[in-house]
Order: sequence, then C-alpha cells, then structure tokens
Amino acid sequence: MKKALAILIASTALTATIGFPAWSAARNDDDGFGQSVKALFRSATDSLPLVFVSDKHDDDDEHDDDHRRHHDDDDDDDDDDCDDCRGNARNPAPAGSVAPPKNGLFGNGTAPKVQTK
Amino acid sequence: MKSAFATLLLTTALTFPGLAMARQVTMTTQLSNYGGDGAYVALYVTDASGAYAGSLWMAGGKSKYYKHLTDWYRATGGDTAQINGITGASVGAGRSLEISLDLTDALFDAGYTLHIDAAVEDMRDSPNEVVVPLTTEGAGTPVPGRRYITNFTYDM
Repeated sequence: MKKALAILIASTALTATIGFPAWSAARNDDDGFGQSVKALFRSATDSLPLVFVSDKHDDDDEHDDDHRRHHDDDDDDDDDDCDDCRGNARNPAPAGSVAPPKNGLFGNGTAPKVQTK
Repeated sequence: MKSAFATLLLTTALTFPGLAMARQVTMTTQLSNYGGDGAYVALYVTDASGAYAGSLWMAGGKSKYYKHLTDWYRATGGDTAQINGITGASVGAGRSLEISLDLTDALFDAGYTLHIDAAVEDMRDSPNEVVVPLTTEGAGTPVPGRRYITNFTYDM
C-alpha cells in the first residue's frame, strides 16, 4: 500500500512539473515560448522554395530526341550541318570544285563562271 | 615541213568540230525586292516532249531545301549528282545572278525549254517562275518572272 502511494505521488509530481508548463505554454499564444515555436515553423515554411514537379520521366528523354530527329522541322536551322549525318542526300559539289555533269547540255566541260551583282 | 603542215591540218580538223558544237551563253536572272531571305533558284531544261533533260545551274547549296523547288525536285528526285559542279550560293532579293556557261549548240532551236524554279524561306514556293524556249532568236530578250524574278535574259 505504501509502495502504491509512493508511485502515485511520484507520477503526480512528475506530471505537475513537466506537463503543466507545457500545457500553459500551448494555451497562451502570445507569450514568448509560443511565439518562438510558431516562428520556428513559420520561418521554415516561408523559406521553402516552390518546386514544380514534372510528370516527365527520364526514360522519355531519349524518345523525345528520336522524335525530334525523325520529324525535324525545316524552319529549324540548328541542324544545318547534320544533313549528312542523318543519312540524307549530300549537298552538291560547288561550281569549280568538279566538272559540270555529263548531261549532254554542256559543251566541253569548262567550269561555269558566276557573279552576283 | 610537209609533216608539220599535215599535223597542223589534222589537229585543226579535230579541234574545230568541238569548238563549233559549243557556245558561250550568259544567263542573267534579276531578282525582285521581295523582302525575304536569299532565294534558291534552279535552272533546268526539258526536251521537246517535256521530259527533263538536265540542269544548268542551282543557286543554293543545302540539299534539304531543294524540295521547295518543286518541279525541279519532281523531275530529279532531288538527286544532287545532277548539280555537282554547277551549284553556287543563293541569291539575295534585288540582286542579279549572272552565269556564263559553255553549252552545246544542240540545245538551241531544237525544241528545248529552259525552266526556272524559285523558293524563299517562309515564303511561297514558285515553280516554273520562268519558262522560255531556247532559240537563237530569243537571245537578248528579257522574259518576266512570276513572283521572285523580275526578268531573265540569255545572251550568246
């Protein structure tokens, strides 16, 4: 009986010592403790950056590149030097670098002369 | 002396037909001020039956744009071997393209027709911009174009 009474007194004292200040702090928002706890969470929330979450997965990137390669728009000039690497027809040899084609229209294979005014 | 003379006769006889079969022709294409980028211009010839006979000049060096020279592209399939050695830069608006070609005599007064296709980036394609029969009589006479070319003249 004495032992049970001692435990009851100890637990009550412990509750009173620890629980009461915590309860009163939570009840009073205007005191220093409440402000500091709120400020702690508020500042943490305010400082969080906005992050846009994309629904694209990394494994789509390769597919997109392939799509771009196969459906390239002519208005896009950034692939000008890639005509050959895509297996398309090569650019023609400029005048003067090779003889004109033997199509029966040219006389003796003399290189044409050109000027732009 | 006799052998030297004979050699001279022989070389002259061999050379003369070649000279007589070809003539220097100057083709001048005057572009209008259409207000766009440099024009791609294809000059090509069809025979009396209207079949593609060959190309004479291509202004514009990137094969990816040749499909916009629609009639030339249809006739050649965009085959760049047709224009190897006869390709130069595209021609700016308001500029004049002057080409001197050594052409066979057989092209003139034999039913051949010269066609010019033109195309400008982000503007309408213009096939058969100029169509002119190749005759000795027509030399020196300007022929008007439809969209990007003010006129075309060939002289010989």
